[in-house]
Amino acid sequence: MTKTVMIVEDNELNMKLFHDLLEAHGYQTIGTRSGMDALGLARQHRPDLILMDIQLPEVSGLDVTRWIKEDPELTTIPVIAVTAFAMKGDEERIRQGGCEAYLSKPISVGKFIETVRRFIG
Amino acid sequence: MLATIRQFLDSLLHPSAQRDALTRARHQAFMAPRLLGGLAALAMGPLYLAWRGAPSALEVMVFGWLIVPILLTFFLSRTGRYEIAHVLSSLALTSLVTVVALETGGIESFAAIWLVMVPLEAALSASRRVVAVATVLALGSAMLLLVLSANNLVPVAMASETRQGPFMALGIISATLYGAGLAFGAESLARTSFWLLCAEEDRYRLLARNMSDVISRHDRNGTVLFISPAAEALFGAPAASLLGHGLFERVHVADRPAFLTALADAAQVVPDRGESGVEFRVRRDPPGCGEPARRRMPPAYIWIEMRCRPLVGVDGEAVDGADVVAVMRDVTARKVQEQALCDAQAEAERANAAKGRFLATMSHELRTPLNAIIGFSDMLRREDEIKFDAARRNEYAALIHDSGQHLLSVVNDILDMSKIESGAFEISSEPFSPREAIFTCCDLMALKARENGIDLNVRVPEDMPRMRGDKRAFRQVLLNLLSNAVKFTERGGTVTVAATIEGARIVLRVEDTGVGIGAEDMARLGDPFFQAGTTYQRRHEGTGLGLSIVRGLVALHEGELNFYSKIGEGTRVTVTLPLEFEPQAPVELARISRLASAPAAGAELQVRKRA
Repeated sequence: MTKTVMIVEDNELNMKLFHDLLEAHGYQTIGTRSGMDALGLARQHRPDLILMDIQLPEVSGLDVTRWIKEDPELTTIPVIAVTAFAMKGDEERIRQGGCEAYLSKPISVGKFIETVRRFIG
Repeated sequence: MLATIRQFLDSLLHPSAQRDALTRARHQAFMAPRLLGGLAALAMGPLYLAWRGAPSALEVMVFGWLIVPILLTFFLSRTGRYEIAHVLSSLALTSLVTVVALETGGIESFAAIWLVMVPLEAALSASRRVVAVATVLALGSAMLLLVLSANNLVPVAMASETRQGPFMALGIISATLYGAGLAFGAESLARTSFWLLCAEEDRYRLLARNMSDVISRHDRNGTVLFISPAAEALFGAPAASLLGHGLFERVHVADRPAFLTALADAAQVVPDRGESGVEFRVRRDPPGCGEPARRRMPPAYIWIEMRCRPLVGVDGEAVDGADVVAVMRDVTARKVQEQALCDAQAEAERANAAKGRFLATMSHELRTPLNAIIGFSDMLRREDEIKFDAARRNEYAALIHDSGQHLLSVVNDILDMSKIESGAFEISSEPFSPREAIFTCCDLMALKARENGIDLNVRVPEDMPRMRGDKRAFRQVLLNLLSNAVKFTERGGTVTVAATIEGARIVLRVEDTGVGIGAEDMARLGDPFFQAGTTYQRRHEGTGLGLSIVRGLVALHEGELNFYSKIGEGTRVTVTLPLEFEPQAPVELARISRLASAPAAGAELQVRKRA
């Protein structure tokens, strides 16, 4: 069965990059630019994995992750944080926020796919 | 001769009397007349014998008694017991007078008047007990004489009237000598007390004049009952004017509660609590200016540290609700240092936070396009792994190119900003048409505006004259403002660009119906990398350098930049530039660097400068 990955990312180019990469590796994707829509989409589609940009318009990706982890039906879905903030202590803060993994931009395609596979094969 | 006597007297003093000047003087006053009187009596003894021949029993007794003071002197010299010596002296005198009086007519005797000398002599002791004992002795003796005389129990008076003469003479001489001794003693004691008082006062004056700390006494309501002269130097006002509520009225209004609380607390005795301390500001009159000048000047305040404790009573115990003794000193210098340290720390923290924000934003702005560049090129490299057609390959190449261009513009912005801030930005002056420049910029933004569903209006009069200035800077300013306006305006909104001539200046207005800027963010507009909102909630892309660059360029161009905005209602930016501009680089650069740091000059700073 084809696995589904939800991408929450506000930058168009990056959205396209993740979408194309995942598609090329045989995954289905759902995408949203808004963190506010992410929770509803996750409930509706029940993705197998969520790629979460931390710098989102209107709401922080960390908040969205917390909402997902607080929802008993969604809490088992792994969340991979993707962020362009690569400051000291950021990874720790992101992991504390409930994310299962952390990727910093710019990503390496090999590592990206490897990380995705680690969670959903 | 006197010195020898004094030396001899000094050598007789008991060690216990050596310690304190007044006690020493008292001992000397006791010894000197008795010793001199006794020795005089001894010296006169042989003369008297030669004149009188064989003395009577009474005469021998009187003579013996006159030597008693010498014995008393040695008693005091050996034991140092001053009061006992005085009582013994009184006793000896009383008994002598009594015996002589009994022999010479009882209460009517010439000797009876000598009883007056007894309490007088005791008065030198400065001891009430000794005076009381002496008085009792004298009165007792008088009573005895009176009773015996009244009952005719007094022995028969001297047989011959002629024998009264020598006794009278002896009595008068010895009484005069004795009286003289007492008088000298009293005078010497008074002089010693006076000098001691003077010395004490000198010491106090030395303390009061040379101590910069002010000592004051307050009642529990803070009313000043006493204040030391040092207050004049400290507060620049006469000490008398500080009495009562004078000091309180000088205390800074904001510090008055603390001042009163400290005094009220100090008035309450709490065991094991030391002094209570408080710091407050007090108005200080500048030295050497009259009342009218003083009124014109803003009040200068100095910081005072006051430590207070309850006044200790006579018994050494502090009394609840008693007056309070306070010590005040000027701690303005320390306060200024503390404030400077505090300011420096806040400034350093602000700078550090700004640096952190700068790095985080820079990282984000560079990594976002880099992610597309590296990601898509990585995909192109893995063509074997990920199969895609030529069209997609071209698409990826275009995306990499666009991201590269965006990255370049970010880097250019950073470079421009850095140049403006360091003063290395070169600004030139050439004639150009502002109307044309405005239309060119609007054309560049038209596509973006259409994409975002925004109506872009331009209102520039056709007869707009040419101007002299830096064309590139002009366009950059306008493009940045337009780009911001388009970026921060929702679909369906309007952006209007207008230009007018006001005197020798051109006024550009960029108006939008966008999100607006909050009052709290207004002050920070144009700070590098600042964008209203928190770092994690980036609503709009952009480096946050656009307005910084605009502000820098407008300042370099001797222009003015103003914002009018309300949240949710839109923003209006006006730029005023001179129509004729000639660059004067070095002067302007200094002004810009000040603009960039924008120090906040508070009231505290002014207080410090004056203090």
